[in-house]
Amino acid sequence: MKLTLPLWQRSQRVLTKTLVVLLASVGIFFANDIAVPQSAAAYPFWAQQTYPATPREPTGRIVCANCHLAAKPTEIEVPQSVKPDTVFEAVVKIPYDLNAQQVTANGVKGPLNVGAVLMLPDGFKIAPEDRLSPELKEKTQGLYFQSYGEGKDNIVIIGPLPGDKYQEIIFPVLAPNPKTDKGIYFGKSQIHVGANRGRGQVYPTGEKSNNGVFNASVAGNVTSIAKQEDGSSQVTIQPATGDAVVDKVPAGPELLIAEGAVVTAGQAITNNPNVGGFGQKDIEIVLQNPDRILGLMAFVFMIMLSQVLLVLKKKQVERVQAAEMEF
Amino acid sequence: MSTLKKPDLSDPALRAKLAQGMGHNYYGEPAWPNDLLYIFPVVIFGTIGCCTALAVLDPALIGEPANPFATPLEILPEWYLWPVFQLLRVLPNKLLGIACMAGVPLGLLVVPFLENVNKFQNPFRRPVAMAVFLFGTVFTIYLGIGATMPIDKSLTLGLF
Repeated sequence: MKLTLPLWQRSQRVLTKTLVVLLASVGIFFANDIAVPQSAAAYPFWAQQTYPATPREPTGRIVCANCHLAAKPTEIEVPQSVKPDTVFEAVVKIPYDLNAQQVTANGVKGPLNVGAVLMLPDGFKIAPEDRLSPELKEKTQGLYFQSYGEGKDNIVIIGPLPGDKYQEIIFPVLAPNPKTDKGIYFGKSQIHVGANRGRGQVYPTGEKSNNGVFNASVAGNVTSIAKQEDGSSQVTIQPATGDAVVDKVPAGPELLIAEGAVVTAGQAITNNPNVGGFGQKDIEIVLQNPDRILGLMAFVFMIMLSQVLLVLKKKQVERVQAAEMEF
Repeated sequence: MSTLKKPDLSDPALRAKLAQGMGHNYYGEPAWPNDLLYIFPVVIFGTIGCCTALAVLDPALIGEPANPFATPLEILPEWYLWPVFQLLRVLPNKLLGIACMAGVPLGLLVVPFLENVNKFQNPFRRPVAMAVFLFGTVFTIYLGIGATMPIDKSLTLGLF
């Protein structure tokens, strides 16, 4: 019956259907944002903004370490080798003490977030949804892997995620196929991973965050410590000569000095509230050609066969020798 | 071609070995052709097979292009250079460090002459050479492990 409809009517139907689907998806998109708001801005974004080309410096340092100054371990597990065009898991482990609490931006204690950047070799990328096994789909549910930039699908960032749930982040990775992808070759290549827990100590602009140590800017006497409403304090230091200097300490770190204390220049006047840190790790993965494996198996089989034949021949010769026969 | 030496079958030890298919060395098996022609190729093929398997299954990494302006975060030479690297690292005077590095082969050269009066060649009868060897081995391993650790831990290996 549909086929008997005039053309303009059919296309109208298609148009309305498309519109409805479009409206529904946009609606869900926005409703989702209201219902489940992103708890915090994506901090890895700062790395993307400050270092748009690559998150890895020529020295091998991952740029997160420029703001997350403390060092903490990071582990990664990948298969020793993968076949082309297959999906595998890269498991990034970000261990820390779950009882630890960090200071948040307003000075209140809160749980730690985690985040990671995974630099895969060229051609590797996060597997599309339809390539995931149901098991892997379940494992990676709710994880949003973001490409580092246009054309940089092999560099993936994720986070911030609640650290109590994601001490282990599973990246579903799709291996490239050198037969179809130009410029990709079989062989071994390196994976770099950097993972972080907790807030950084420096903002990309160079300002200190409240998650670090604050130091006295001059040597002298602490004449007053003025607590502000927002929890920050202003420490006034009177040096031996010259005007008094006011050091601002935001809410978060605890002051270690009292009024009347004598401080030296650079002396820590607060404790270090930081409990998190950043760690990076390099690991190798082999993109293996299945044909090479078959060839190797055939080759090893031939070697083993010739070894067996050599031993058999030797045994035969021994028997001749034992009988003291001459050829 | 024949077996050069007949087995002495009155020897019970040999009989026990023969029962297990061993004891060829008791009756002088000729190297040719038994070993040289038949068993050497077995070993050679096995070695080739192992090397090929390693090359296929775990190929060498093609590293990043060298960049002389980018000092790696961790400066550490190849493993066999760790002990002398550690010498250079912990000695505050760099000239002293170089001197100690040069002293390693020179010191080893001196060892045979130190014990020149000793007429024995058996290492177990050359106590000075043996002591230098054992101490040198242990100390080299200690230095090598220390080189992989942060400088503040490298002398104590983080144990004390």
